[in-house]
Amino acid sequence: MRITIPHLGNVYLAVKILFDSLGIDYIIPPLNSKEALRLGSKYSPEEICLPFKLMVGNYIASVESGADTVLLVGSCGPCRFGEYSELQMRILKQLGHNIEFIIMDPVSSIGLNELFKRVRKVGSTSKKSALSKMGSIFLAFTAMKLIDEIEAAAHTIAGYETNPGEAKGLLSSCKKEVFKCSDPIKAVNILKQYSNRLKAITVDYTKKPLKIAVIGEIYTVIEPFSNLYIEDILMDMKVSTTRKLTPTWWVKDMLLKTIKLNSRELLNASNEFLPLYIGGHARECIGEAVLAAKEQMDGAIQIFPMGCMPEIVSKSILPSVTQKKKLPILSLVVDEMTGEAGYRTRIEAFLDLLERRREHVRIRC
Amino acid sequence: MRIGIPKGLLYCRYHTFFETFFSKLGSEIIVSEQTNKDIMDMGVEFCVDEACLPVKVFHGHAASIKDRCDYLIIPRIMSICKKEYICPKFCGLPEMIIHSIPHVPKVSMEPIYMQNEKEFFKWCFSAGSAVTKNSAKIKKAFISAKKAQKKSRTGIIEPGQKLTVMLAGHPYVIFDEYLNMGIVNKLRAKGIGIITEEFVSDSETCEEVKKLVKKPFWTFQRRIFGAACVLLRHKRIDGIIYLSSFACGIDSVIIDLIRYCIGHFPMLVIKLDEHTGEAGMDTRVEAFIDMLERRVLNENYNPSPWECVFSGQNPV
Repeated sequence: MRITIPHLGNVYLAVKILFDSLGIDYIIPPLNSKEALRLGSKYSPEEICLPFKLMVGNYIASVESGADTVLLVGSCGPCRFGEYSELQMRILKQLGHNIEFIIMDPVSSIGLNELFKRVRKVGSTSKKSALSKMGSIFLAFTAMKLIDEIEAAAHTIAGYETNPGEAKGLLSSCKKEVFKCSDPIKAVNILKQYSNRLKAITVDYTKKPLKIAVIGEIYTVIEPFSNLYIEDILMDMKVSTTRKLTPTWWVKDMLLKTIKLNSRELLNASNEFLPLYIGGHARECIGEAVLAAKEQMDGAIQIFPMGCMPEIVSKSILPSVTQKKKLPILSLVVDEMTGEAGYRTRIEAFLDLLERRREHVRIRC
Repeated sequence: MRIGIPKGLLYCRYHTFFETFFSKLGSEIIVSEQTNKDIMDMGVEFCVDEACLPVKVFHGHAASIKDRCDYLIIPRIMSICKKEYICPKFCGLPEMIIHSIPHVPKVSMEPIYMQNEKEFFKWCFSAGSAVTKNSAKIKKAFISAKKAQKKSRTGIIEPGQKLTVMLAGHPYVIFDEYLNMGIVNKLRAKGIGIITEEFVSDSETCEEVKKLVKKPFWTFQRRIFGAACVLLRHKRIDGIIYLSSFACGIDSVIIDLIRYCIGHFPMLVIKLDEHTGEAGMDTRVEAFIDMLERRVLNENYNPSPWECVFSGQNPV
C-alpha cells in the first residue's frame, strides 16, 4: 500500500515526518502548480470549488508515480467538502485508476469503531509497536506545530525586519531542507534550528508596518498556490500578516469539537454577528474579523473559492463588521481563472487605502 | 401585527403551514408578489454578488415587503430530515438579510428543525410569541397548520402524448415561473409529460442512495438523485431536464452524481442566473425534445423502406 495525500499548505512536511517514522510507504505529490490545476479542472465537475480541482490534480500526479491509496479527512457538514470523497472516487475510477480511499470522517457521524477501523487500515502497514506509533504521531504533531509557528513568525516579522527579505528567505530554505531530510528526528531538529534562527533576525520595532489579518475559507487561506501566494506578496510589500486558521488549529479544533470546547475565542467573537454553526468555517471567519479589529489590525483580507457556500454568507455579513468595528475588509474570490495581475492590483490598491487611512483618518482617538 | 412572508425559496412547499399558522393566531399576513423583474432587480441590488439566483430573489421578496410589515418571517431551515441539511446559505439566511438590506423590521432568527414535531414547535412558539402571549392559542394554531400542511401537496405529474421528462432541481427553481421562464408551460404546450421528484417515495430514495459510498447529507441531494435513478430504472421517463441555478453548490454535486449513474441517458442541464436569455433556453429545450423524439421513435428500430413509404417517414 502506497499512501498519498492531497496538498494543504505545509501539511505534507508533517505527513512526511509521520510516515517516515512509521515506516509506511508514501508518495507526496509535486507541489501545487498550474499543471495540477489544469489536470484537476479537466476532470472535475465544472462548478465545484477550487480545492476539489487542485486535489484531483494532486491525486492524478501521485497515481502516475505509483500511489494506490488516498488518505483524506472528511466531514459530514452542510458544506460541499463532505461530498469530495464520493465524487473524487468516481472521477479516478472513470480515469481507470483503481484507488482506495481512506476517509477520516468526524467521530460524530461514523462512530468511534468505524474511525478506529479506518485508522487501523493505515496503521497496520507499519511494523512499529503501538507505543512507537504513538511517539511518531506525537513527533509529527510537534513538527506541524513548529512549522506553523515558524511560518506565523516569518509573516509577522516581515514588516519589522531591518534586512528586507530575510524572513522570507529563511522560510523557503527551511521548507526545502525539511523536505529533503528523510530522518524524522533530524527533520524536527532542523525545524527547531530554523525557529531559533528566525528569532535571531534583527528587527526594528519602531517601524510601523501595516498589519493585516488573512481570513476566509480554510483551504484557500492555507494553501499558497490557491491564493496566488498572497502571504508572499504581502511579505514582499513589508506588511505584517497574521492568520489564525492553521493545520495545527484545525487538528485541535477537530479534537475539541467532540466535547464542544473548540476555539472558544473565535466563536465567542462571532456570536454578535453569526451565532449558529452554518458549515465550513464561516463563523470562524467572522470571529477572526472581529478579533482583528480588537487587536487593532489595519485591515483584513478574506479569501474564498468561487461558489463557497458558507463564505458567501460570511461575505454578506462582513460589511456590517466593517461598519461596526471600523475594520476595512477586502474580499478576494479565487478560482481556476483568477488572473494574477488583477489580483495584485486589488491588493496593492487596498494597501494604499489602508496607508492613507492611517495617516489621514482619525478613527482611533 | 402584520406578518411579512417573502415568497421565495421553500415558500412554495411550506406556504400552507406558515399562512395557516399566522392567520389562526389572528395576525395580518402580507405575502410578497409573484417574482417579477422589480423583485429580481431589488434582490440583485441588495444581495451579495456571489450568491445563487434563488437567494438573490429571496432578498428581493424580503425587500419588497419590509416596509409594510412589523415582523418578517425569514425561515432559517436547518434541516427537514434527520441528520440532513438543506444548504449552508439557508442556515445563515436571516443574517444575510439583516446585514444586506437596510432598515429591516424584526426578523425571526430561531433555527427551524422540521424532523420532529417538538423541535419544530420550538420555532413556532418563539415566532408565535411575537404575535400573542397565549401559548394555548399557539399550540392550537400549530396543530391546525400542521393538518393543513399535510393536505397540501406540491409537485407536478402530468401524462404526455409520447414523451415524459423528469423536471429535476430544487423546488424553488421549478415552481417559480419567473425564474425558470415558464418552462413548465412550454413543455405542456409541446405535449410533453412532466414528473417531479415529489412522486417518488422517501423510502425508495433512501434505498437508492445506499448505492453511494457516503450517505448524502443534503435532503435535496438524496431526493433528486434518488428520484432520478428510481424513475429511470422503472422506465417512467424518457429524459431529464435539470434546472439548476448558477453557483449552486449542491447542484454541482447532484448533477455529477446523476451523470455517473445514468450513463448515456439524455439529460439537459439548464443553468439559470439573472442574465439568462429566454430565447437561448427555448432553443435548447426544443433541441432536446427533438432529440428525445428521434431517440424514442428511431433508435434500435430500423423500419423497412415499405414501412417508411406508408408511414410517411424519411427512411434516412
